[in-house]
Formats: sequence, structure tokens, C-alpha cells
Amino acid sequence: MKALTGNRLADGEAVFWKDGRWVERFAEAQIFDDDQAALEAEGMAKAQGTVVVDPYLIDLVDSEGLWAPLSFRERVRCLGPTNHPQHGKQAAGGEDVEALRHAHGAARSTGRVNLIKRK
Amino acid sequence: MPTLIKSQGGRMVLANDPFTHVDDEEALPPGDVILSLARFQAEGDRLLSDGRSVGVRLTTEEEVEALAYDLPRIAVVALKFPKFLDGRHYSNARILRERFKFTRELRACGDVLREQAGFMLRCGFDAFEPADGSTPEQWERATRRYRHVYQRGVDERVPAFVERRS
Amino acid sequence: MYRYDAIDKEFVADRAAEFREQVNRRLAGELTEDQFKRIRLMNGLYLQLHAYMLRIAIPYGSLNAKKLRKLAYIAKTYDKGYGHFTTRTNLQLHWIKLKDAPDILEHLAEVEMHAMQTSGNVIRNITADPYAGATADELDDPRVWAEAIRQWSTLHPEFTFLPRKFKIAVTAAAKDRAALRVYDIGLALRRGRGGELGFEVMVGGGLGRTPYLGPTIREFLPTRHLLSYLQAILRVYNRYGRRDNIWKARIKVLVASLGAEEFARQVEAEWEKSENEPVDLPDTELARIRGWFTPKFATLPPASEIFEQAKASDPAFARWTRHNVHPHKQPGYAIVDVSLKTPGLTPGDITSEQMDVVADLGERYSIDDIRVNYQQNLLLPHVRLDDLPTVHAALEAAGLATPNMDLVTDIVACPGLDYCSLANARAIPIAQDIARRFDDAERAELIGELKIRISGCINACGHHHVGHIGILGVDKKGEEFYQVTLGGSGAEDAALGTMLGPALPADKVAEAVEQMVEVYLRERTTGERFLDTFRRTGVAPFKEAVYADAH
Repeated sequence: MKALTGNRLADGEAVFWKDGRWVERFAEAQIFDDDQAALEAEGMAKAQGTVVVDPYLIDLVDSEGLWAPLSFRERVRCLGPTNHPQHGKQAAGGEDVEALRHAHGAARSTGRVNLIKRK
Repeated sequence: MPTLIKSQGGRMVLANDPFTHVDDEEALPPGDVILSLARFQAEGDRLLSDGRSVGVRLTTEEEVEALAYDLPRIAVVALKFPKFLDGRHYSNARILRERFKFTRELRACGDVLREQAGFMLRCGFDAFEPADGSTPEQWERATRRYRHVYQRGVDERVPAFVERRS
Repeated sequence: MYRYDAIDKEFVADRAAEFREQVNRRLAGELTEDQFKRIRLMNGLYLQLHAYMLRIAIPYGSLNAKKLRKLAYIAKTYDKGYGHFTTRTNLQLHWIKLKDAPDILEHLAEVEMHAMQTSGNVIRNITADPYAGATADELDDPRVWAEAIRQWSTLHPEFTFLPRKFKIAVTAAAKDRAALRVYDIGLALRRGRGGELGFEVMVGGGLGRTPYLGPTIREFLPTRHLLSYLQAILRVYNRYGRRDNIWKARIKVLVASLGAEEFARQVEAEWEKSENEPVDLPDTELARIRGWFTPKFATLPPASEIFEQAKASDPAFARWTRHNVHPHKQPGYAIVDVSLKTPGLTPGDITSEQMDVVADLGERYSIDDIRVNYQQNLLLPHVRLDDLPTVHAALEAAGLATPNMDLVTDIVACPGLDYCSLANARAIPIAQDIARRFDDAERAELIGELKIRISGCINACGHHHVGHIGILGVDKKGEEFYQVTLGGSGAEDAALGTMLGPALPADKVAEAVEQMVEVYLRERTTGERFLDTFRRTGVAPFKEAVYADAH
């Protein structure tokens, strides 16, 4: 499973692809179970040069029924800095934030999908 | 014909380019040509005695000192930027102008963007083959962005510490 | 401090205007991200995990009240009300929007500040001894030379596309408070045989993936040739530094591969061939710059009754003076540290309110002079002994008086994976854990000088290589692990740390530090700091204590 993310050009906010637009909460992100669809979306996102900078796909892992980013770095991007819980996306609170905070299954620190395209 | 911008009389202007870049494998067209260093060393003498003007194109791996002996016969030195981030030719340009006193055309080609206009001019480039479709007006603007400079370059701009004395 | 003349002011104004135009072109899609990224970095603007990060230049760590108040205002208006001082004496703001950046640069220009060349493959912020102008042991004021280099290196047309970033530091005292040996170029003012001033020139130091201590390539360079000689070094680097591999592109790799002798020979040859007179600054310009660095001290008695009384009656004040107050060259004055290391908080962070407090104190009690050092702390360099109790009370009320300078809780930590896209692991929580464990002023004093340095990745912005205890975050299959080194030093006894053993998981690091401190307290002889004991015993007893469970 994958999700598509990038940073918004104008303000640098980490955002996630959802059906052709960008959302700020990971909980609302579109989950791709089909590599082809994911790559197509990535292609469309890359064409949005004035909206988002450097979009890329990230791997997800199933943590007790919740899809969470596989990498620890991407979890930090989804939540915010751990030294200031009142800063960043985590400040909004909610179940999804709590669940993400306690998700397990992180397996590597960099978020990107393998840059060598798989068939 | 690709665009050639030249600095003339303190202004950036569109210029006719009598020179043709020629790759090592290419057949030589008639007229004035710019060759790689290796090709110039092989064929330069012959072409010059034919009455052509000949220029030499250097990569960033090549040292400008290699031209020292031949400079009086070279009409144009073209320094090719593989990527605009590769700044070796800025040193090459200054050495050509300041140390070897080369006075003819010093051209920037390759990955040449208008954002580098000011730096290139100050290092002694006076001709530019832009890769980003930019115009002489845009190059002119880029070189006029700063009212002052802090250090001496090859150009006539007076550094701040001299400005301050007056 | 140096004050801008009309030329300097117009320069930063032009820069701000240029950047505004470039941002507009980017937002309109006329510049691609690839083209814009270089421009953005040249103005200190990074794209990080949560937002853009702006790195504001603080040349040789020098501030005054007006500047610091503006930084407080910018942090409050455009960020989340705080900033972070770095190991390069710059200020970082971690929540910036690209569309606000042009306005911010304009604000900075109003107070003679900028964000030029705090990123990119250019000559970066010049750093200097934070005690400049206040310490008796300096031969000259290094800020004069730092300012000269700053101007010369600003938008230098030949050196704007170097193989990699380039950092220069300047000192003028026997004590090295700027870590010269781990700089691309370290310049130490020395006196020549005839009494004239010159520089010992060290080239090729650096941290990161391949740390080096920079060798001296020239024992003595007369000061008047400083800029032309720097030009020669930079030109050799620009021409021959590697560009094929980002990890091998710093000048330290060039110097190491050629050898110091051959590198020096190439620099001297280049220097000989160049006409130096047009490059070197005339005496008039040096004198003009120097004129800004002559503060007016009052004539005071060397001792202060008020100060002595306060020490005698207030043990907390006395403790603070033991660690955060230092001798000044002028009788009746002292150098005061402002600690940004409250245990449990983020090292180097400061709120806008705190910045305003320091600005007020600097203006009123430190001849409007405030400094940043490379340990992420601030200084008030010229405080009268009489004023120390007042200053202490004000700092304490603002949470800036932890009496811990150079002690175990004076930890340097980079922002790490909490903020930075380059990081492999977090650094801040490790610092917080350690500091909380040692949050006992008496115990910290008992332990004495212990410099802990934490980096979240191999780029070493936390200077872990030169920590007495260095801690490097690494990624092991998605979990944060930490490699510990011992015995590094960034001072005049420069050394790179020795590895302790296998990397430790995050929850074992603070415990390991405690174990190592216990070993030190057990083994130390009179007067030995942690570093001294380590140098005597080697790594063995420390390793044994930390990895005892493994046996």
C-alpha cells in the first residue's frame, strides 16, 4: 500500500494526495493498493509544479487496522516535532493522531518508495 | 541559429554569431568554427592557414592554461558549463582575462541561465549562449540588480572599499 | 559593532528585492524548482519536514538590541514565537512560508541583517571568537577580519558555485573558542618574529562523514595579504575540488588526498601568480572597519562591593557566577553567558519574549552588545560587576540563568529528525533525557566540565565528533540507534572522538551517559575533567561500564 505526499510550494506544509487534490491530514490521504494508479497519481502530482514541491510515494504498513507510513520520518511529517506536541499537525488532536503516534511497524527511516521502478 | 547575447558598450545585445560549434565527430562546415581543445590541437593550424577564424571550447575538466601558447591565434574561447552548478569556468574566465590578458571574445555555453549573468560578466565573460530561452533584456536586468559590489572583478565595477574612499 | 553604511544598506535592499522577484517567478511557474532551489538556498531558505526553514545570518555571532528585537518580532509574526540558535551562530526559524520570505528579508534589511549565503555551495557565515573585544588574551579583535572576509565573500562572482559549502572561522587568542581545526579554513591571529600581526592558516578541517583536523598550511601570513591568500585557496578548491561525489566534495578531501604539503604548494603557486594588490584591502578600509569595534568602557575599580556582597549572601547567584560569568579585559567588567539550556527544554531554542529580555539587558547593561557562540548559547560581553545581580535576576526570571555553561546539561544538539529532512534520528529528545537525569545543579557542578554533543545524522551539525561525549543518531531498520564517541574536543587541543562500542537504542543512551559519568567520578584524579580522565584511561573502563549487561 502506498500514499502520495509532498510539500505545498507556498507554505511548505506537508500534504497528501486525495483524488486529485491535496489534504493536510494523513488520515484523509488516498491509499493506493494498485502500483499503477499510484504511479499515475505521482505523474499528475509532478505536473503541478506551482502547487506542490517534489511529490513522492511512500510505503505504508498495517498497524492494527490503521495504515501508517512505514518510515519513522514520514510519521514525524504526519504528526509534527516530538519536542513540541502543540506544534504541527498533531496539535489538532483526534483519534487518528493518537493512533498514528502509537503505531508500530516502522521499518526504515527514509520515506520514499524504492526509486527503481518496479514492474 | 541559437541565440548569442553579447555584452557591448555596457549593454546586453542580441548578436549574430559567425561561429559554428563543431563536435569532434562532425564534419567541418564552411566558415568560422569553434572546436574542442583536442580537435583544435589536431586541426587548428590547418584551419587558421585556410583563413578561418577558429575558437576553442573547453570542458570543465580542461585547464585554461592549456591554451596559453595558442591564445594569440584563438578568436573565441568558449567555456562549456555541463551544469550551471559547476563553477570551475568562473575561475578559468578570470585567469584568462587577468593572467593571460586575453582580450577577445570569452563565451559561456552549455547550461547557462540568466541568473548567472552578473557573476559571469564580472568574471570576464562577454558573450553568452543562454539555455533557458532568456533575452538580452532579461540579461541586462539581471546584471543591473545590484548597485554595489564588494570585491574587484574583471569588469570595471568599482568595489565598495574604493567607492567609500571617494 | 559594525554598522552598515549606505552601500551595505543598499546591498541588502537589492538582495531582498531580487529575491522577491525570484519568489514571484517561482510561484507563477516561470522558474522550475530545480532552478529556484539554488536561489532559495542562497538566501538561506530550506524546505524541511514540516515547513520551510529560514536560516538568518548572524555574522560572527554579533548582535545588538535592535537586531535581536527584530528577530523576536519576525519569530512572533511569521513563525511560532521562537527561534533556534545553531552551532554556526546563525538563527533558524522552522515554520516559515515561502510567500512570507520576501517580507522577512525586507524586515531583516531594515536592521542591517540578511540571510545571504547561509546555505548553498558558497562561502558561508564567517564565525569568530565570541569573546572578541572583551577578552584580555586576544592579540587583536578578530571581528575586524571576520567583517573584511564577510564583505569580500558576499556574492563573490568567482566563488558562487563551489564544489560544496565553505566555512571560515577567525580567532585571535591562544584559546580556541571557535573550533578552528574543524573548519574549511581556520585563521588564528599570531604575532610574527618582528612583532607584526599575521595569521596561522589552517585548511581542510571538517566534521561530517569524514572528519579531519585541518593542517596548518601556512605558519604565518601577514594580515595585509589575507584576502588575496584566501582567493588563492578558494581558487585551488574551486578548480580541483571533487564534483563527482557530494560526500567527497569538501576541501578537506582535496587537502587529504594531495597532502598538506602539496596543497600548500599549489596555493602558494597560485598566490604568486596572481596580482594581489587589487584584492587585498587598503589600510584605510581596514581602519574604517576597525573603528566600529572600539567600545567605550567606563573607568571602574577592579572589584565591586555589590558583586562580592551578592555572592556571599546568595548561593544560587554565587553558583551562577562560577559557571556563567567570566573575566573581562577591562577592570570592573565581566563576560556573562546566557544559558539556552534549561534541562528538559530544547537546546538552543529561545522564545520571542526571551529574545526581548536579552535585547533589553544587552542594551542597558552590555553596551548594546550581544553575542552568539557555537555552543548554542548567548553572551552579554560587557557587563559591569555592579550590575551582575540585576542581570542575573532578570535572566533567572526569563529562564535564561541555568548555571550550567560547559557542564553536563549544557548539551549541544541539532534539530534532528523532529525538523530536518537530512536526519536519521532525533537528537532533541536524547538531549532532554540526559539533561533531566542530571538536573541537579550541585551534581552538575561536582561532575565539572563535560561537553556533550548530539547529531541526528552524519552531517554532524551537532558537532558530535568534537564532543567529550559525542552522540550520533543512526537508523537501524526504522528504529533510532545512537553511536557514542568519547574524547573529542573543538578547543585548541582539538581531537576527534573515539567510538565507544556498538550503537545503543534510544532508551539506553541517557543511562549510558550516567554510567560513563560514574566511571569518571570513580577514576578521576584531582583536577581532571572528564576529557582528561578519558585521555588517561582510554575507552576501556567506559566501554566496560556501558556494555556490562552484554556479558
